[in-house]
Amino acid sequence: MHLQYFILTNFKNYESQRIDCSSQLNCFLGRNGMGKTNLLDAIYYLCLGKSHFNLPDSLLARHGADFFRLEGCFTLEGRQERIVAKVIPRKKKELERNNLPYQRLSEHVGLLPVVMIAPDDTYLATEGSEARRRFLDNTLSQLDNDYLQQLITYNKVLQQRNALLKQMADSGRYNAALTEAYDLQLLGPGRAIHQARQAFMGRFHGLLQEKYRIISGQAEAIDCAYDSRLNETPFDQLLEESREKDRILQRTTAGIHRDDLNLSIGGYPLKRFASQGQLKSFVLALRLAQYRLLQVEKKAIPILLLDDIFDKLDNERVRRLLGLLLEGGFGQTFITDTDENRLSAIVEHFGRDYVKYAVENGTATKIQAP
Amino acid sequence: MNFSSKLIEEAVSAFASLPGIGRKTALRLVLHLARQQPEAVEQFAEAVAKMRRGIRECERCHNLSDTPVCNICADPRRDQSLICVVEGIRDVMAIEDTGQYRGLYHVLGGVISPIEGVGPAELNIDSLIQRAQAGGVREVIMAISPTIEGETTIFYISRKLKAPGVNISTIARGISFGGELEYADELTLGRSIVARVPYKGGGEE
Ligand SMILES: [Zn+2]
Repeated sequence: MHLQYFILTNFKNYESQRIDCSSQLNCFLGRNGMGKTNLLDAIYYLCLGKSHFNLPDSLLARHGADFFRLEGCFTLEGRQERIVAKVIPRKKKELERNNLPYQRLSEHVGLLPVVMIAPDDTYLATEGSEARRRFLDNTLSQLDNDYLQQLITYNKVLQQRNALLKQMADSGRYNAALTEAYDLQLLGPGRAIHQARQAFMGRFHGLLQEKYRIISGQAEAIDCAYDSRLNETPFDQLLEESREKDRILQRTTAGIHRDDLNLSIGGYPLKRFASQGQLKSFVLALRLAQYRLLQVEKKAIPILLLDDIFDKLDNERVRRLLGLLLEGGFGQTFITDTDENRLSAIVEHFGRDYVKYAVENGTATKIQAP
Repeated sequence: MNFSSKLIEEAVSAFASLPGIGRKTALRLVLHLARQQPEAVEQFAEAVAKMRRGIRECERCHNLSDTPVCNICADPRRDQSLICVVEGIRDVMAIEDTGQYRGLYHVLGGVISPIEGVGPAELNIDSLIQRAQAGGVREVIMAISPTIEGETTIFYISRKLKAPGVNISTIARGISFGGELEYADELTLGRSIVARVPYKGGGEE
């Protein structure tokens, strides 16, 4: 699978831009703040229908513009897939596949697998559990669209249940039958998501350790354990047990929306005990394992977006990462960098077909190969 | 818009307050009426005013009606032992159009959604339970869209509606999933009411 070309209209700092891609390596060269990352985010948006950075659509439209449009033409198993996103923030969001608008945006997820590796990925280790659930959900949704549908259902029921708990507390009238209605509706998707996450961790674990060994050059044991109260207690029992607590706190306190991944290194929690270097290696390994898993389990080889990571990693890790990339098995890759010499070295190293663009203030110009 | 006439301006504002009517369409309608015979427009306005003066909710099923009891409820040829529960009046019209259903209705006026501030008390649920428990009812058919809110509502009613000899059924799944009943085509809707299935209690499937 690869992206042939993409067109940005009023997206971030781009007014109108077309990028023709190499099916192998694509480089965006430019100083910080010029809009290199926005090009990667546009690709990400075409693949998953949203920004990698969790930005609302209103912040994606170019300053002063009331809409944005993205168009991408992909080759997938010999077919052409033309994806167009037309967005008027807060008013309209439409995603089309080959001129047919999706009924629901979520149907698109999984068609075009993508992984972005960005310098601020350490948030996966340092932030709260939501960041790690999002990592899990992003990977699992790309693997299995049914997982995403279950998750959407679960979240909608959860919102209703929480709103009910709040209203019951405000009015002082407890409605047992209605609470039970929401409990029953949570059970099906809750159990399905828990099972999918558990099974996923079984497949993910080995890949993660392998990638960590390569990136860090260390043999130390790392772990990424799935932490869920559903591991020990059936979900219906959990809901039953937390009924009183839920009433007092006015929100649902048990369920897969509280799951976490416990990241550790040598038996110690990563967040508190790891060095900066270990932290960076760990999250890079998480991403590479995510990429590999998608690659193995999807028919299409995912697109790899590498945002400025050669600048933020030390030379040793860059060397190992390049080694990994060179080993092959990676599909179409997009790289941003600020340093022309380093980028040239990388391109040479690869020895693959490539295109290079110079990015300056929301304009990308193709650099002709010498 | 700049009006030379205060009368026109007021009429345009009145039309533009209707759903789906923008100011441009409102102006077109008003200019059209302004060119008609005064008697014709009087008749038009009177039809609207008369409708609003006379229309009421059927005291049994909450359908719109000209009389205290609507003509579906009052029709002795209809099967009094069947109640079809729907979200809104347009669902009654959609099901009537299929010509496949000869029982009675009960209009809830929406579905349970705490986020929207709609609880059981805001809907016509108590009166449904009274009807079902008053005797003579054999089956309550839930013709409610299969959304999360719809499922919640069906489950809640099934819990509250515990009357001996009253069966609860739901219309066959798969019709306009996530959409509203009124958008289902007549044939599918008709079939799904004929091919209804006993309600199992919701939650897991
Ligand atoms: Zn009636």
